[in-house]
Amino acid sequence: MPCLFVSWRLRVPLSITNIRRFIKTAASQCNDKEESGTTGEKEKGGRMPKHVAIILDGNRRWAEKRGLGPSQGQEAGARTVMENVKDYFSMGINTVSLFAFSTENWGRPGDEVKYIMDMFEKIVKSEMPNLRRYGVKVSVIGKRTNIPEPLLHLIGEAEEATKNNKEKQLIVALDYSGKFDILQACKSLAEMAKNGLINVEDIDENLMDKELMTSCSEFPNPDLLIRTSGEQRISNFYLWQSAYTELYFPSVLWPDFGGAEYFEALDWYQKRQRRFGLRV
Amino acid sequence: MKTRLVWLRNSGQTVAVGAANSLPPSSAVVRLDQMSGPVYTVPVPDMILDYMDFNDPMLALSSWIGQIGDFGLDLVWRFIHIVVTLWHIVSGIFESVESYAISLGLIQKYSSIDIEKLKCLAVVVDIEAARDVSKVIELLQWLTTIGVKQVGLFDSQGLLKKSKDMILEMVPRSVLLQETGEKHISPDRIALEFISSSDNKEAVVKAANILLEKYLKSIHPENGVGENVFTESHLNEALRVVGESVHVPDLLLVYGPVRSHLGFPAWRLRYTEIVHMGSLKYMRYGSLLKAIHKFTGVRQNYGV
Repeated sequence: MPCLFVSWRLRVPLSITNIRRFIKTAASQCNDKEESGTTGEKEKGGRMPKHVAIILDGNRRWAEKRGLGPSQGQEAGARTVMENVKDYFSMGINTVSLFAFSTENWGRPGDEVKYIMDMFEKIVKSEMPNLRRYGVKVSVIGKRTNIPEPLLHLIGEAEEATKNNKEKQLIVALDYSGKFDILQACKSLAEMAKNGLINVEDIDENLMDKELMTSCSEFPNPDLLIRTSGEQRISNFYLWQSAYTELYFPSVLWPDFGGAEYFEALDWYQKRQRRFGLRV
Repeated sequence: MKTRLVWLRNSGQTVAVGAANSLPPSSAVVRLDQMSGPVYTVPVPDMILDYMDFNDPMLALSSWIGQIGDFGLDLVWRFIHIVVTLWHIVSGIFESVESYAISLGLIQKYSSIDIEKLKCLAVVVDIEAARDVSKVIELLQWLTTIGVKQVGLFDSQGLLKKSKDMILEMVPRSVLLQETGEKHISPDRIALEFISSSDNKEAVVKAANILLEKYLKSIHPENGVGENVFTESHLNEALRVVGESVHVPDLLLVYGPVRSHLGFPAWRLRYTEIVHMGSLKYMRYGSLLKAIHKFTGVRQNYGV
């Protein structure tokens, strides 16, 4: 009876998921004692992250649970991105990073990798009109040396077509490695020093920040990093950039991570008290 | 003549609210100029509108039902809060009992942990917690009991580094990792490493400077091409030269209110399991054992 009443009053469909979500919201208020502090308490109300990074994990396990092949899991994961991409920028979020394919993923079976690359091509072609309509700037970061030529060409077109969009940015990490990002920043600084643009002694953290691949964004350091499927690792993603990033590890597999789960993550983030290593 | 509060509507939308003294029966139309007193409108000039009488019993009843509904919703919310609070209390009691049972060795599966799988453990401590060195010492004593061989202790401001000597003295059989090296830790010892934010980005920048200088020195005058020194192994070597460890912890336990690694050396975090343990002040031996036991059951694909 209470659930029926709440469902009617809040005008949400009555489902187990919504009941569980409602109880979780009530429960999270009990946890407020852990997170409340003295300074920063007022600031945390209403805060939204400027940059959300997501590690899309769990596609293969999702397919295994349903007796499907890995490629069907990848397809389901891609569908989740396409269906929810416009929601990612709601509530003032400026930048969203998706860890779509890591350098280590090249070690997967050849046909799975080929399928994933073909799928990326289809997604870029089908989603470009939508992303342009939503005013999203697309940036792809990663090595690019092993990416098939047709996909590289499409990526170039997408970046060119959306380069003037300022309000929202979608960063897709393709063949990305956090360690490689740091190394290529070092190499870039070396070239600058060789060409006399900087002195070796001028190199500091700020210069390194500017040479990382995430310097394409106004907000290069993610405020919130979500990794689905319950694994509690950052797996070589944004190693340098994630020093003070809030880490959220929901157990839901990526293909099942919809808008409601995303808003749960944002709600969780809002309750955090961020200190950036300082005393409050 | 009664003054009535009047809502005026056009096509179902309220466009003006005000008071009116002399009104015809409700079925007739009324003009804006018939209203007196303050009238709040949206700009819809020269329109003739219908009106609805505030004193209409149906409207009053609908308002009452809404208020009762809101009150009912508030009661339901408070009821759920009570239920959830009670559940939290019960689960907290259960966790305490479970933790006590684990520490007494009563729960079989936690009595034997494959500690060999945990080669290197890192502990990140919030700056507030780092001020209470006694709790850190207690944690290290527990880890020694469990059989952990190598522990990296991190706090962003380096407070634990300053208390290094006291910690080494108070933790039995502890040695400094820098003195023994990773490969020469005795089976009955625990090697401790003290890390702070200066070992993170600052250290990588120093190592990058070493690589830069090496690169610039290696440039051939004929073709302007230098040796490729920008590889992981080169950077690892450069980090060792500046005095940093490059050993990757298998498990990182975060004690504090934030769910972040707080600037732990980025270069070392690639496949590290990160577990948030809550407050150091209220840490439990059972929770520590559970976290380590759970880690030993984790299977990593390393992206493949």
